[in-house]
Amino acid sequence: MRAILFILLFCLPLSAWAQKNGYVILSGRVTDLETKAPLEGANVLFSGLSIGAKTDSTGRFSLTLPARTYQVVVRSLGYKFKLERLELTKSMDISVALQRAEQLLDEVVITAEKADANVNRTIMGVEKMSSKTLKKLPNLMGEADVIRSIMLLPGVSTIGEGASGFNVRGGNVDQNLVLLDGVPLFNTSHLFGFFTGFNADMVQDLSLFKGGIPSMYGGRASSVLDVRLKEGNVEKWGVEGGVGPISSRLLFDGPLIKGKTSLIVGARGSLSDFYMKYFPNPALAKSKADFYDVNLKLTHRFGKNQRISFSAYVSNDGFKFASDTLYSWNTKVFSIKHNALIGTKISHNFTAFMSDYAYGIEGLKQGVEFIWRPSIIQKSVKEDLSWDINPKNRLDLGFEFSAFQNDAGSFLPNAAGSAIEKFPMTTENSQEMSAYVGHSMRLSNKISLDYGLRYAMYQLLGPLDFYGYKSGTPRAFNTLKDTTSYASGSVIQTYGGFEPRLSLAFKVDTSLSIKGGFTRMQQFRHLLSNTMAISPVDVWKNANPYLPQQIADQYSLGIFKNFTNDQNAVFETSLEVYYKNLKNVVDYIDGAALYLNPTVETELLVGKGRAYGAELFLKKARGIRLTGWVSYTYARTFRQIEANAEQAAANFGLEFPANFDTPHTFKFVLNNRFTKRISFNANFTYMSGRPITYPNGRYKLYAYNELLDYANANGIFPRPGLTPTTYKYGGSTNTYLVGSTITQVLDGYSSPSFTLRNEERIPFYMRMDIGITVEPKAGKKWQGSWNFSIYNVLARQNAYSLFFRSSTGLINQARTYQLSILGAAIPSITYNFKF
Amino acid sequence: MRAWILGFCWLFLCACETEVTDFKTQNLSSAIVVSGEMSSLAGPYTVRLNYTSAYSPFDVTEFQGQVIPGADVKILDETGASISLRETQKGVYQTPASFVGQVGKKYKVRILTINGKLIESTLDELKAPLPLSTFSYAFKNAEKVENMRFDLRASLQDKKGSEDFYFIKRQDFIQFLTTCPEPPPPPAPVPVCDCKCWQAPQNTQPILISDFLLDGTSIPLALKPVDYQDLTDVVVQLNVYTVSKEAYMFWKRQEEQRTLGGGLFDKVPAQIIGNLRSVNDPGQQVVGYFLVGGLHRQRLKIDRFNGIPEETNRKLGFYVDFNNIRYKDFPLWDCRKAAWIPYNLGFNLPPM
Repeated sequence: MRAILFILLFCLPLSAWAQKNGYVILSGRVTDLETKAPLEGANVLFSGLSIGAKTDSTGRFSLTLPARTYQVVVRSLGYKFKLERLELTKSMDISVALQRAEQLLDEVVITAEKADANVNRTIMGVEKMSSKTLKKLPNLMGEADVIRSIMLLPGVSTIGEGASGFNVRGGNVDQNLVLLDGVPLFNTSHLFGFFTGFNADMVQDLSLFKGGIPSMYGGRASSVLDVRLKEGNVEKWGVEGGVGPISSRLLFDGPLIKGKTSLIVGARGSLSDFYMKYFPNPALAKSKADFYDVNLKLTHRFGKNQRISFSAYVSNDGFKFASDTLYSWNTKVFSIKHNALIGTKISHNFTAFMSDYAYGIEGLKQGVEFIWRPSIIQKSVKEDLSWDINPKNRLDLGFEFSAFQNDAGSFLPNAAGSAIEKFPMTTENSQEMSAYVGHSMRLSNKISLDYGLRYAMYQLLGPLDFYGYKSGTPRAFNTLKDTTSYASGSVIQTYGGFEPRLSLAFKVDTSLSIKGGFTRMQQFRHLLSNTMAISPVDVWKNANPYLPQQIADQYSLGIFKNFTNDQNAVFETSLEVYYKNLKNVVDYIDGAALYLNPTVETELLVGKGRAYGAELFLKKARGIRLTGWVSYTYARTFRQIEANAEQAAANFGLEFPANFDTPHTFKFVLNNRFTKRISFNANFTYMSGRPITYPNGRYKLYAYNELLDYANANGIFPRPGLTPTTYKYGGSTNTYLVGSTITQVLDGYSSPSFTLRNEERIPFYMRMDIGITVEPKAGKKWQGSWNFSIYNVLARQNAYSLFFRSSTGLINQARTYQLSILGAAIPSITYNFKF
Repeated sequence: MRAWILGFCWLFLCACETEVTDFKTQNLSSAIVVSGEMSSLAGPYTVRLNYTSAYSPFDVTEFQGQVIPGADVKILDETGASISLRETQKGVYQTPASFVGQVGKKYKVRILTINGKLIESTLDELKAPLPLSTFSYAFKNAEKVENMRFDLRASLQDKKGSEDFYFIKRQDFIQFLTTCPEPPPPPAPVPVCDCKCWQAPQNTQPILISDFLLDGTSIPLALKPVDYQDLTDVVVQLNVYTVSKEAYMFWKRQEEQRTLGGGLFDKVPAQIIGNLRSVNDPGQQVVGYFLVGGLHRQRLKIDRFNGIPEETNRKLGFYVDFNNIRYKDFPLWDCRKAAWIPYNLGFNLPPM
C-alpha cells in the first residue's frame, strides 16, 4: 500500500505540469507500403528537435510538440526513409507508409535504432540488434542464433563452447532475465546450449540491457534480454523457411480477416534423430538428440488504436545416449496481450501469461524404470502504462503480480515392475508483486535524466514442511533440529525492497555525451548448479529463510562519441566502465549433492561478489558496403563465501574468481557487401582462459592393502624369482631369464589434492567464423537465399577444460587432459526461402 | 544424404580430448594423508600415514608420498578404551591380531605425530555386516574367444526401513600356468614341474551401493565378467563393508572426481575431506579416511574347464597357444619363480 501511495504521489505533480498550453499533439501510424502491416519500432524524427517518437506494436506514435513547421523523417529498419514537410498548427493524426529497401544498395544498417541513438539515449549499457543483423552474422551449422549473436557484444561472455546461457558483466547465467515477447523463459537452450531455444526467424529485434535497466524490468539480478517477436501480415499470406544441416524451419503468416486479424506461425525441428539411426556405432544409433520449437501469434486489431493478441510458444528437447537415460526439458508459454492508445498520450499494455518449464530425467533400464520431472510454473498479470506528457517528459508506470509453483520433482517408478520406490519431494508456492514508476525527462538541451523506482515483494507460501537446524553450527543433516509445518497459504518468508534506477546523460554536443547510472536489481529465485556449466536439469530454488534474495547494485559511467565521414558512414564509439556489488550470491559446499535432496540448504552457501570492468566499443553502424564493430572488454568478477554461525566457508573464506571470470575479451564483427546480392561476413573472438582449480599435489588412499600385508607377513614377498631380460647380438634380440627378487609396491587409490579454488586458468580462447550470404534476385516471387559459413575457420582446438583423471589398478598414473568442443572448422550451408 | 551423414559424424569427432603431457604443478600442500580401516573380521587392522606428493604424472616413485614415522596411533571406542597400533614399517601402523571390532560399538582413530599434530577421526559405528544374497556365475559363449566370458551375478538383500550404504572391494585370484622345460635326456630323472600358481592382480576400483530409492529390495552388484583365457580356476572375492553415509559419500566423491571427463556438467573439482581433522591445529589439512565397517567376505570359484562345450575348449586351445598365454618362451620348473607376473602368490590362496 505504501508503495502504491508513493507512486501516486510521485505522479500527481507531473500530471499537473503536463497541462501546459502552447503545444499540439501529433499522432500517427506507420505502415508497410505494400502489406499495410504496422511497423513497430519505426522512428519519427523532427527537424530542430533532439527528441523523436517510436511507434508501438500497432505502428502508432504520439507526442506533444511546439506548434510550428517541421521536416519530419520517418525511418524503420529495412525500409527507405521518408522525409516530409509538416505544418503543425493544430493537433493532427497522420499516416506514413514506408517502402521496403531490401533491393537497394543504399546503406547497410546493423542497428535497430536511429542514428546517434547511443549518444542521445539517456541510459547506457544497452545493445540492440535487428533480425536482419542477426541473420547476417556467420553462424554454427547455418543456424542464425540469438544468444550466439549477443555473445559477440561487449560485456557478454560464456563459460565455453556449447554451454547453456550467457554471462553479463560478471553475473551468473540464471541472473539474466530473458523475455520472449514479454514472457520470461527459464531455459533458453536447445541441445544443452549449442543453440538458442527459440527461432530466429520469428525475432523482430532484441535489446540487451547490461547496465541501465529501466524500472519496468525486474526479477533477475544481472541483465535483461528483451526479444520481441514479429507479427503476422494483415494484408497477404507469405511463407518463409530454411533447410539446414541441424534443423529445418518453416514460418507462415497472413491475414485471417484482411486488415484486422493476422496469424504468424513459426516452427523449427531438428533432424538429428534422422541422422542418428544411420550411425554404424550401435550406441550412437540408439541415441537421441532432438528438439523442436513452435511459435504462434494471433493478433486482432480494433480500429486504429487497439489490438489484442494471443501468443503461444512451445519448445522441447530430448537427449539420450544409448538406451538407459533420457534427459528432457520443455517450455510451454501462453500469453494474451491487450494494447491500446488511450487518447493520444497514454499507451496501455496489459499482459497475462502462463509459463511452464518442466525438465528431468527418465530411466529406461528394465527393472529400475523411473521418472524425475521437476517443473516451475509462473502465472502472471501485468499492466504497463506509458504517458507521453510532453516532448520533454515521459512517465512509465505499472505493476505485476506473479504466482509461482516450483515442483522439486518427486522420483517415481515408471513401470509396473520397477524396483524403484517413490521418493517424494515438495512443491513450493510463492508469489511476487512489483510496482514501478519511471520518469524520463529532458532537463535542458544538454542534460537528460531517466529515473525510476521499482518495489518488489516476494513471499514464500505454505503448505510446506520447513526444516530447522541447530543454531551456532553450520547447517548439516546431523544438525537438523525440528520441522515446522505451514498451512496452505500461510506466509513462511517475505523478502522485498526498493530498486532505484537512475541514468543521467550530459550531451556535450550532438555527437558526444557522458552518462552515468545506478541500477539495483533483486532476484528471488536461484538456479542451483555446481557443475562447470549450467545443466538443463539444474533445479530452480525459491528464496527462503536460509537463502535470501540476491541483490545486485551496479554503478556505471560512460562516454559516447560518434563520427561521420564524407560518405555519411557513422562510427559509434563508446567507453563504459562499471562496478557491480553482489549480495547473497549462492555457492555450494564442495561436492554438493543438489538433486533429490530435501535438505538441500545444507549444501548451499551464501556469500557476496563483486564485478568490475571496462568496455571499449567501436561500431560502424551504417555504411554503403562495410559495417561491423570491434570491442575490447576488461572484466573481472569474484565471489567470497565466509564462514558464519550457519555455514562453513568456501575456499577458506578467501575471495576467488568466478568460473566465468575472463579478464580480456576482444571481438570483431565485420560485414562487407560486395554486390547487391553477395555479402561477406566474419567475426573473431579472443578471450582469456576461464579460471580452473588445478591440483597442487596428489595422494594415495591405501585402502587396498590386505593382500600385500598378508604376503609380507607370510614371507611370500620378498622372495627369489626370475625375470626376463634381453640382449642384442649380431643384429638379433635374445631374451632370457635372470635371477631377481619378487616384491610388490603397494599401490593405492590415486587422488589429486586441491587447495585454492579457481587459482589457475585454462589456455585462451580464440575463434574466427566467416560466411557468405547470397541474397535472392529482386522482383522474383520465390525468394531463395543461400548462406555458406565456416565456424571456427582457424580450426583451433580451444580448451573447454583441463581435467585430471587417474585409472584404478596397479601403479595409478595421474593424467591431465584437455577437452575441446567443436575443435575443428565446421562448414555449413543453409538455404532460406520466402514467397 | 551420405555426405550429410558424414558431415554430422564429423561434428561429433570435433569434440576431442587430448592428453597434456607436460603438465606439472608444484606440491604446495603439506596435507597429512591418513588411510586406515577396521572391520568386524579379525585384523590386524592397518593405518598408513603419509604426506601428499607432487603431481608428477610419469614419475612412479613420487606417488607414494613421504611417510610419517614415529606417530602414536590408537583406536578408541566410545567408552574411551583404546588399543595402540605398532609401527611395523615406517609410516605403517597395525593393531594386534587379537583385536577385533565389535558390531554396534563406535570407534575412532587418534594419531599424535612426532611434531605434535593431534589428528582424530569421527566416532563411527561399526555396523552389522550384510552377507551376499546371491553370488554365482554363468558362462557366455561367443564366436571369438576374446568375447567369451563368465558373467558374475551378485546381490544384496537390503534391510528394510534403514538407510544403508555399502562399500565393496573385489579381489580376483587367477590361477595361471607356466610351461615346463624339456626334461633332461635319460637316464637323468625328470624333475617335478610345478606349473600352476595363483596371481592376484590388484584392483582398487570400489563398488559403491546405496539403498536410496531401493530400500528393502534385492540390490544387484555391477561386476565385470571374468575372461575365458585359460582352463584354470578363477576365484572372485568380494569384501562387502556396511558403512556410514559419510564413508559412502567420501568414496562416491572420490569416484566422481577420478572419472571426470572435463565436460560441461562435471562438478567443479575440490579437495575431498573425509572424517579426519587435526584437533590442535585447524590449519593442518588432513585427507583420507578411517573406515569403520561391518565386513562380510565371500569367495566364488569359477571353474573354467568343466561344463564348457568341447568346441569352445578347442578354440581356447588355439587361442592359448597363439597368444602365448602360458609363457612358453620362459619355461620354468616352478611357477613361483615367475617374477614377471604381478602379485604372484605361489601355490596357495590367502586364507579367508
